[in-house]
Amino acid sequence: MGLTAKATAGVIALLFVLSLIAPLIIPYGADMIDLDSIKEPPGWEHPFGTDNKGRDILARVLAGGKISIGISVAAVIISLGIGLVVGLVSGYFGGVPDMILMSVVDLILAFPSLILAIGISLLLPPGLYTVIIAITLVGWTSFARLIRGYVLSIRESSYVEAARSIGCSNTRILLVHILPQCIPLSLVMAGMKLGGYILTEAALSFLGLGVQPPTATWGSMISSSRAFLNTAPWMVLAPGICIAVTALCFNLMGDSLKDRYDVMKTGASGQDAV
Amino acid sequence: MLGITLITFALTKALPGDPVYSMVGERSDPETIKRIRTALGADKGIVDQYRGYLLLLLRGELGRSYYTNRKVLDDIRVKVPMTFMLAAGAMLIAVPAGILMGLAAALSSRVRTDRIITGVSVIGLSLPVFWSGLMLMYLVSLKLKILPPSGTGGLRYLVLPALTLSLPAMATLTRITRTSVNEITTMMYVRTARAKGLSELRITVVHILRNALIPVATVIGLDFGSYLSGAVLTETIFGWDGIGRYAMEGIMKRDYPVIMGCVIVSTLSFVLINLLVDIVYHYLDPRLRLYGTDR
Repeated sequence: MGLTAKATAGVIALLFVLSLIAPLIIPYGADMIDLDSIKEPPGWEHPFGTDNKGRDILARVLAGGKISIGISVAAVIISLGIGLVVGLVSGYFGGVPDMILMSVVDLILAFPSLILAIGISLLLPPGLYTVIIAITLVGWTSFARLIRGYVLSIRESSYVEAARSIGCSNTRILLVHILPQCIPLSLVMAGMKLGGYILTEAALSFLGLGVQPPTATWGSMISSSRAFLNTAPWMVLAPGICIAVTALCFNLMGDSLKDRYDVMKTGASGQDAV
Repeated sequence: MLGITLITFALTKALPGDPVYSMVGERSDPETIKRIRTALGADKGIVDQYRGYLLLLLRGELGRSYYTNRKVLDDIRVKVPMTFMLAAGAMLIAVPAGILMGLAAALSSRVRTDRIITGVSVIGLSLPVFWSGLMLMYLVSLKLKILPPSGTGGLRYLVLPALTLSLPAMATLTRITRTSVNEITTMMYVRTARAKGLSELRITVVHILRNALIPVATVIGLDFGSYLSGAVLTETIFGWDGIGRYAMEGIMKRDYPVIMGCVIVSTLSFVLINLLVDIVYHYLDPRLRLYGTDR
């Protein structure tokens, strides 16, 4: 990995570890209500201030980080898994399976992605897994599309032909000869998508469809602070900066991976949701 | 299109919660509930309901909202121009700014300019619109009191939401333009143009920019299409009365005809925009007029 990739991955890892050990280092719990210190501006006592129920915003922001980063990483891993399987099968075998799989992909891609994610998250009881499922069901398509295209291009290469001529089975060709070739592309794609997924997760929980309150998530913190924008702007500021910094780190990491492996030509981003 | 109506229909039917209950309240008598159900056609089988909906579509209708009993099509006719205005406003900001910044980043002889612009564009991509919107609202409306914070109305109400919505598009456009210009500057015909002694301005505009615009046009089309299909977040924050908010309210209230109508209209506009992009391609790249598009 390049320097940027290492540095940004380090920042996110640090944030994640901090959010895990937050209860040990911060004297306030994320859900600890203290009606004596409502809407206190940032200061020594509370570095990021307190919210309308006197909860420490730093504690809540860190608690939210665990959820947002966890959800995005999980969603990317699952999307990538599904995308790899579908892309490999579709690209290698072609024909009818390819046609069916790709029309499913096209169908999902034709929907406005955020609306579809909203629809899916309404189907299931709100919570952690619902958000992961909603992001994944929309997100796997772009992985599948890209990997299919890549497999198509290496299917005809001479080493695949050589493998076939010495009698390798399709499974062996796919797993041993083609799959490893897809790893760099998959990593780059995953890195670029992570930033977008952070934003999608934040958007869903902003709309009240994510992990439910009182559990702190960055999106829901912003949405419940909207009413206090004029009197306590720091309530909106802190979670927003967290989302932006995390997404920024993931995007930079994706960019740096892309430059390193040089697998994608366009400057397209991993951003889905508006 | 048929697939989309089918999926949306299945999705709306699978949504938990019964619109009839939320209309009359949990405790009304069974008679009323039955009456309403018959009126909505909800007592028929699902296949019959879907067939009925398709027939309705073929007549060019989208049904009536369960709550307001207004025709969904009439509502959409009012909301789409609002969203169109917002999306066009955002593009008016994003397109010139994005292309100029991308050009500057690619053509500048200083590495630092390139670095700064690339950095700013990555930040632009990483900001959640609902947050940057709120921050703009705080600074411009609540502190400086220049523009109204939210609502629907004239140009004064449009500026902030359009600016918010334009940020991610501007960032994407900057990046695409930069990559594409960088690639084209290394082409032989640019060297030829330079060797012919053409002015730098002419080379940039005629030889580089025109070719670099092809991928840029795709992104403009895609972004514009996705804005039309609902800038849900931006519209929610600024109380902009467009199709995104309409769809969101429909989803929240389980107003099936509204959800169906919104999805169909936005998908349709998405397809139309893509068609438009293809036409623009032909204008930008004469080769495609000869050989046809193969994307």
